[in-house]
Amino acid sequence: MIAPKLKRTIIAWGLLAPLVVVTLFPFAVMFLTAVKPAQEVLTPSWWPSEFRWRNFYDMWVQAGFGRALFNSLYVSVIATVGAIVISIPAAYAMSRFRFAGHGAFRQFLLVSQMISPIVLVLGLFRLLASFGLVESLNAVGGVYMAFNIAFTVWMLQSYFDTIPRDLEEASWMEGGSRWLTLRKVFLPLCVPAIAVTAIFTFINAWNEFVVALTMLRSQESYTLPIQVFSLVAGRYTVEWHYVMAATLVATVPVAILFVWLQRYLVRGLALGAVK
Amino acid sequence: MHNRALPYLLTLPSLILAAVVIFWPVVDLIQIATHDVSRFGQLRDFSGLDNFAALVADPDFIKALLRTGVWTAAVVGGALLVSIPVAVILNTDFYGRSLARVIVMLPWAVSLTMTAIVWRWALNGESGMLNSALRGLGLADHNIQWLASAATAFPMQIMIGILVTVPFTTTIFLGGLSSIPDDLYEAAALEGAGPVQQFRRITFPLLKPFVNIAIVLNTIYVFNSFPIIWVMTQGGPANSTDILVTHLYKLAFRIGKLGEASAVSLVMLAILLVFTAIYIRLAMRGERA
Repeated sequence: MIAPKLKRTIIAWGLLAPLVVVTLFPFAVMFLTAVKPAQEVLTPSWWPSEFRWRNFYDMWVQAGFGRALFNSLYVSVIATVGAIVISIPAAYAMSRFRFAGHGAFRQFLLVSQMISPIVLVLGLFRLLASFGLVESLNAVGGVYMAFNIAFTVWMLQSYFDTIPRDLEEASWMEGGSRWLTLRKVFLPLCVPAIAVTAIFTFINAWNEFVVALTMLRSQESYTLPIQVFSLVAGRYTVEWHYVMAATLVATVPVAILFVWLQRYLVRGLALGAVK
Repeated sequence: MHNRALPYLLTLPSLILAAVVIFWPVVDLIQIATHDVSRFGQLRDFSGLDNFAALVADPDFIKALLRTGVWTAAVVGGALLVSIPVAVILNTDFYGRSLARVIVMLPWAVSLTMTAIVWRWALNGESGMLNSALRGLGLADHNIQWLASAATAFPMQIMIGILVTVPFTTTIFLGGLSSIPDDLYEAAALEGAGPVQQFRRITFPLLKPFVNIAIVLNTIYVFNSFPIIWVMTQGGPANSTDILVTHLYKLAFRIGKLGEASAVSLVMLAILLVFTAIYIRLAMRGERA
């Protein structure tokens, strides 16, 4: 007679096993290829004869990883800071005021959330080109900012709604102005939500592909996804151990951040969307 | 509340930014799609629906359209079939549940580009690790050229699409399951209902609004999904894995048929707006309930 929880554990893991294998398979491929010595990469063996940690260093130099990393950071920070600064007032208005156009703005956000950059990519390209901004990392950051506004306003508003108005009202009674109350009472309470929203915006920008692929044409301005893609696309000899080392380094920090914060994303979206 | 203009001022920056970056391109696309774009040598600027007619006459567009339907339905449906049992399992109490949750969520944490690059390598015909794994396990006796023909490449892309859609879908369902009170199951068990009956009579009906939302949201995301197919095959070999987004990208940036590319964009926008309208209706119904 086995304990019911143990029985449940065996059944649960047994049923999940295929999904777990398929999920972990690419990570195994990524890691094992990244640490293989160059001459073993093209032989179809799984386990490397030795762990060649130097690959990471060589990749960093050879693949121009540093510059792409900097470009990615730059674009993502612009997108994040801009989206948050623009969204906080909008989310505050949505949460604390009843105004004509309140519902329309909400629907507008929903619709703009549904439109992904790929559908507009030609128009976006022409928009940037008409201002001579192709190749501009600032402009790409601006595009990311705009496409994240719906998400950030939505997340922030759903959190702002959970903060009781009594606190602000108490501050007004004491004679505090709206601005002072906002700064000293309201915003400090929202710091965690703002941080989580900012991190997700950052990850979105960090991972974006099609806008960067279209707008950034020279190696100097490539972001990480484009840099790694350029190591693979249209080449006869691909140095897969470097490519996999690069994907690993580009992926793991963000993946850890995401898994750690994922429940906040769910809570925020659930407060707003899936009621 | 002294200043009635205040909420408008607060929302204005976000409206302006979205208007410039999202609506200006839409207007521009409408312009291009309804005009001749320096290709036929005609100076007639307004060409009405000619670009749309050219699309309908283009067999590549029709094939890409149909393939987009297959792609979207297969990925959304597959993700649904996987996610419901996974969510039900993750909602029960067992050893290592939080580890299982993390593993299931992992594909969501990695960018689609990186996932697709890793799979492109794993599916490599000569030295890919999927082939060596299959051969090592005795499941295949020769190397399969996964990405060399659409017959193997497209199903693989669908599989990867499902894999990366499962985490989000499972998350929605976990939210739904946690809203079902436990006493319902206890009452059902007292009445003698088995697990299958409990699922059919309690879990599934109460999960249904969440299933609807997941279907609509996933349909929108998958319909728009570009990196998996572009990175793995660029729609090839011979356009045989093209979906609308990759077809659009080729028209716009490889072949330079700007008019037709804009027409594809507008067709996609129209389809997306229909999905969005459905979503808004579902979401509003949820709010009223």
